[in-house]
Amino acid sequence: MSDRIATDARLLPIVAIIIVAFGFLARGNPNLIQAATFAAIDAVAAIGLSVLLGNVAQISLGQAGFFAIGAYTLGYLSTAVSWPAAIPVWAQFVLATLAGTALAAAFGIVLGFIALRFRGHYLAMATLAFGLLVVGVVRIAPSLGGAGGLTNIPYPAFGSLSISGFAAYWYAWGMVAVVAVLTFNLLRGRMGRAFEAIRNDDLAAETIGVPTRRTKIVAFAYAGALAGFAGTFYAAFLGLIDPSEVGVDFSIVLLLMVVVGGAGGVTGAILGATIIGITNVYGHDLENWRPVLYGLLVIVIRFPGGLIGLFARRRAPRAAHESEPGVTRSAPLVPTPAHASNDRAWLRVEGVRKRFGGIVAVDDVSFSLASGSLTSLIGPNGAGKTTLFNAICGVTRPTAGRITIGTRDVTGWQPHRIAALGVGRSFQNARLFGDMTVLENVLAGGYRRESATLVSDLLALSLSRRSERAAVARAEEALRALDLERIASVRARDLAFGDRRRVELARALAAEPGLLLLDEPAAGLNASERERLRRDLLRLRARGMTLLLVEHDMRLVMSISDRVMVLEFGKLIADGPAGVVRDDPRVIAAYLGTA
Amino acid sequence: MLQLVVAGLTVGSGYALVALGIHIILRSTRVINFAQGEFVILGGLLAFSAVTYLHANVWIGLLVATAGGFLIGLAYERFVLRVAAAGGELTVTIVTIGTVYVLLYGHALVWGSLPQPLPYFSGGPSDVAWHALGFEISAQQLWVLALLAVALAALAAFFEGTEYGRAIRAASNSPVGAQLVGIDVDRARSISVAIAIALAAFGGTIVGPITLVGGAAGIAISIKGFVGAIVGGLDSAVGCTVGGLLVGVVEKLLEGRFGYGVADPVIYGLLIVTLLVRPQGIFGSRRAIRD
Repeated sequence: MSDRIATDARLLPIVAIIIVAFGFLARGNPNLIQAATFAAIDAVAAIGLSVLLGNVAQISLGQAGFFAIGAYTLGYLSTAVSWPAAIPVWAQFVLATLAGTALAAAFGIVLGFIALRFRGHYLAMATLAFGLLVVGVVRIAPSLGGAGGLTNIPYPAFGSLSISGFAAYWYAWGMVAVVAVLTFNLLRGRMGRAFEAIRNDDLAAETIGVPTRRTKIVAFAYAGALAGFAGTFYAAFLGLIDPSEVGVDFSIVLLLMVVVGGAGGVTGAILGATIIGITNVYGHDLENWRPVLYGLLVIVIRFPGGLIGLFARRRAPRAAHESEPGVTRSAPLVPTPAHASNDRAWLRVEGVRKRFGGIVAVDDVSFSLASGSLTSLIGPNGAGKTTLFNAICGVTRPTAGRITIGTRDVTGWQPHRIAALGVGRSFQNARLFGDMTVLENVLAGGYRRESATLVSDLLALSLSRRSERAAVARAEEALRALDLERIASVRARDLAFGDRRRVELARALAAEPGLLLLDEPAAGLNASERERLRRDLLRLRARGMTLLLVEHDMRLVMSISDRVMVLEFGKLIADGPAGVVRDDPRVIAAYLGTA
Repeated sequence: MLQLVVAGLTVGSGYALVALGIHIILRSTRVINFAQGEFVILGGLLAFSAVTYLHANVWIGLLVATAGGFLIGLAYERFVLRVAAAGGELTVTIVTIGTVYVLLYGHALVWGSLPQPLPYFSGGPSDVAWHALGFEISAQQLWVLALLAVALAALAAFFEGTEYGRAIRAASNSPVGAQLVGIDVDRARSISVAIAIALAAFGGTIVGPITLVGGAAGIAISIKGFVGAIVGGLDSAVGCTVGGLLVGVVEKLLEGRFGYGVADPVIYGLLIVTLLVRPQGIFGSRRAIRD
């Protein structure tokens, strides 16, 4: 993620200089100025799609629909509505622009809710249907002019300055500048990390506390708002809007701009919109070759890199070196136990049962975990250990039974809400966000603890800056505590396996959980890594954290656990201190198969 | 009313063939081919060329279109879908959308942007083959329905009745398992896609005399075929056929009752509603929708 942000940060000032210089150099050429104005309008809509497609990995073929909503809202408000005389013309334009943008954002929320139900092709089709639906409706709505559309939309004017010709160029590129800055701010902060986490691993994002559903809806609303914003000025600048301008074709052209320029971030979308804009002016003799060429580009260009990918600096491949298992420092692993221990049970599982079809994976399991205890859950493969984990953190909903955290009944809650109560977890196969660096992974883990909001991120308010500084400090501390700071800038997917495990632990710790669920943390680790894990776990417990381990390494389990629970065929068959459980004949039978 | 239903079944035959093609390609490659409707147009245009420039009989035109569709399908699978598959689902989706664009405007480059006529399979446009119970069915409409039946029978015979067809189905259901028993999975994919594209081209030719061939209708045909597939059930061949026919009937009934322009938004709305309420469709199974 930081790649695209860094590219944006480097290139945006250059783009701004080019735009200003171009404006002055080309001011004698109305055709060029007009083409550049259209390119700017398209760029605004394309940036929205770029965020959706490149940063959140949600495809939309309905972007033209939002553009239409913005354009028609402005068109309708400035032709069919009689405004009170007290409102000057410029204020009418501003209000109509805001209305168009807001309405598009509202529809974006609606489409976002629909999008939650689908992935991949289905999402593409659903969004396409949305776009077609919007065009179909405006085509038959008499008050929107039917197939002929709305005409005679007045030029926006501020006093004596009419926003046409050269002024329109500045207005349109001013829109791009505003949108570019807002988007850049959004992507580099808390929300940007949430987007990136979702793009990399939806489920892992949810379990570290990112409200993935809400975040996706935000992304759709944002993309919709930008397209609507672009649409408002399109209608005002052209003086008319009709259904043929906002059909599926336009959605595809916007997709093309993003794919050609490079999906994700701002600069790629601007580049794509500009290139297509230029070929629209100079490619007139090419007639149908032009769109064919566009289509070929979409097929040939490697998504999501695009042209902007050529400008990205390759990150130094500092991969695959293990951080040596050296001295463990005395720095506090958990800076402040967020959920200070009390005598109450941290977690209570009562009669939990999970059935998949005819198979009962977890059968009437009950236990509670005392605050600050280290408990291991063991059992043969397929005994239901991971399913039980999933039920506790909300990934699967138990068929029956009740799960209580503190005093709250959390049965059936979404994972991010359970994470918000201080439940962290690791996965059997270390589900890191592969495209993000180690530091970014750990930062994402601290999502819940950040105070930045959507608005403060967009506007880069001091709240966001403070929140970001604190988040980075916390993440660095978590990295230091696990001796990971030397690999902080390595991309997660380039890590060696043992390091992946520890980074995942650091990511979970960044949320400062009160209860940590670790799914086979020692699997795949070598002897020295295991020893280090053992020390780390003991330290966490010493800090008051409640730990629940699923583990097969019996030496590790028996040497650190306060208590061991044994699961077989979904049922708890033993529960007690390590020494007692080890000698329990039923446990021996379960493991060795002796009667 | 019955008249409209017959007209709907006729255009619906085209949608049914598109839906079936989408179904076959999805089964074998896990890709939804957004360009399926463009191949319908391409098929019609191939037949048009055979008839106009080679002065061939329309039946030869049908053969040219179907065989041409098959070959183009082989190339499409090998050089577009298979290459893009390495980039993941989102990449393939984007690439099939790029293909829509290439074909949409590519058709216009070769054949011009205006739709072209295709001769009737027998007799003239006003020839009534059957007239009873207050409605009439034209010779071409009868041909469309008959040829749809022939295509469906041929498909069923191939996929159910032949060793090779069963091997292809096995490869779709479980690529790894099929590989283990010695089936060439890549080849099975190629053949599946080629059959789907040939079906589209076949459909474009039989419906062509009624709808004209060429122009920018491909996207709408893709979507309506897809709506048919979703409504009927994407993972069910029967569902896709029934769904496609149903979309055609709904379209013609709405057009006949409320005029042009009303049918399309309703059909697109139907897609969204079906996706939300019963994403597996009428005949589909719940399992199919999560991948």
